[in-house]
Amino acid sequence: MSEENQVEEQPTPLILQKLEANHADALLAHDETRGTVVVVVRKEQAYAVLEYLKTDPELAYAFLVDVTAVDNSQMESELMQFDYARFMVVYQLYSYQGQCRARVKVPVHENDLNIPSVTRLWQGANWLERETYDMFGIHFEGHPDLRRILMPDDFDGHPLRKDYPLRGHGERERFNFDKQNA
Amino acid sequence: MGLDFVGQGAAETDGNIITTTIDKVVNWGRKNSLWPMPFGTACCAIEMMATLASKFDLSRFGSEAIRFSPRQSDLLIVSGRISIKMMPVLKRIYDQMPDPKWVISMGACASCGGVFDTYTLIQGVDQFIPVDVYIPGCPPRPEDLIDAVLQVQQKIASGASPKGVEAVYE
Repeated sequence: MSEENQVEEQPTPLILQKLEANHADALLAHDETRGTVVVVVRKEQAYAVLEYLKTDPELAYAFLVDVTAVDNSQMESELMQFDYARFMVVYQLYSYQGQCRARVKVPVHENDLNIPSVTRLWQGANWLERETYDMFGIHFEGHPDLRRILMPDDFDGHPLRKDYPLRGHGERERFNFDKQNA
Repeated sequence: MGLDFVGQGAAETDGNIITTTIDKVVNWGRKNSLWPMPFGTACCAIEMMATLASKFDLSRFGSEAIRFSPRQSDLLIVSGRISIKMMPVLKRIYDQMPDPKWVISMGACASCGGVFDTYTLIQGVDQFIPVDVYIPGCPPRPEDLIDAVLQVQQKIASGASPKGVEAVYE
């Protein structure tokens, strides 16, 4: 193998060093994609890890870019990996200080859809968590106002789940003006 | 246009009288001063803005007075997709417009749902409000919207009732 082809040994990113030192028991897996560190974290310690990432002076992931979820019910490989967790709640973080991004993924089982809300850490999580609740039915514990945000209040079901039919259960054909205007 | 109306005094006017009916005069006035209520929810609204702006200039046809209050307008232009959450809003705005009122369903989405055959999108606003003129296209060009306004004008001039009135008295 010529010298040009040898891959230079990358230093472990700071976030992984610190998480392995302080929250090693919470870490299920980690990866790096396009310069973004991806960590998979146990649900029980998710809030603590996110709080640590935000408040640690060296990491300072102060900006919560997005909260969303993924329904893995049709992805066998992901299902196998984390004990058949159907949903993966995803937090996208950005550190102004380090000018780098991080992605925190939390597996959520179908039989226990509760996950702690991060609205106490980031006010901006309020609507993002409402959207995730609306689309996937993830229940964020401690959220001040967990209502639907996109779909009508009387809507039934969570449309971004893989088992939700594209054309719905007939909501668009049978909605009631009087009920909606009340 | 160019309809002169002389009310009375046949002897003095010396052949300058045009006889007509009240309906015709009223319809002539209505057709040349349609005040649109824009209901733009998607890219069709961009074409609607272009229609109103200087290049296409809808004021050539007397319809440049866009009213953002439904209570002051008589032409509803539904331009864009309408979701099941938006439909009650659209219905309420339609109900707030004073009679007589006309509705243009602009573009594929408003007319039939377009490519969005999904759980949340109304497959044609005519299921819930009466539509007078449909415009095909995705999005339609400003000329198409002008053509639709002219078709509404023809309808008014012909003395035909708006679809909404027909629906009430059927």
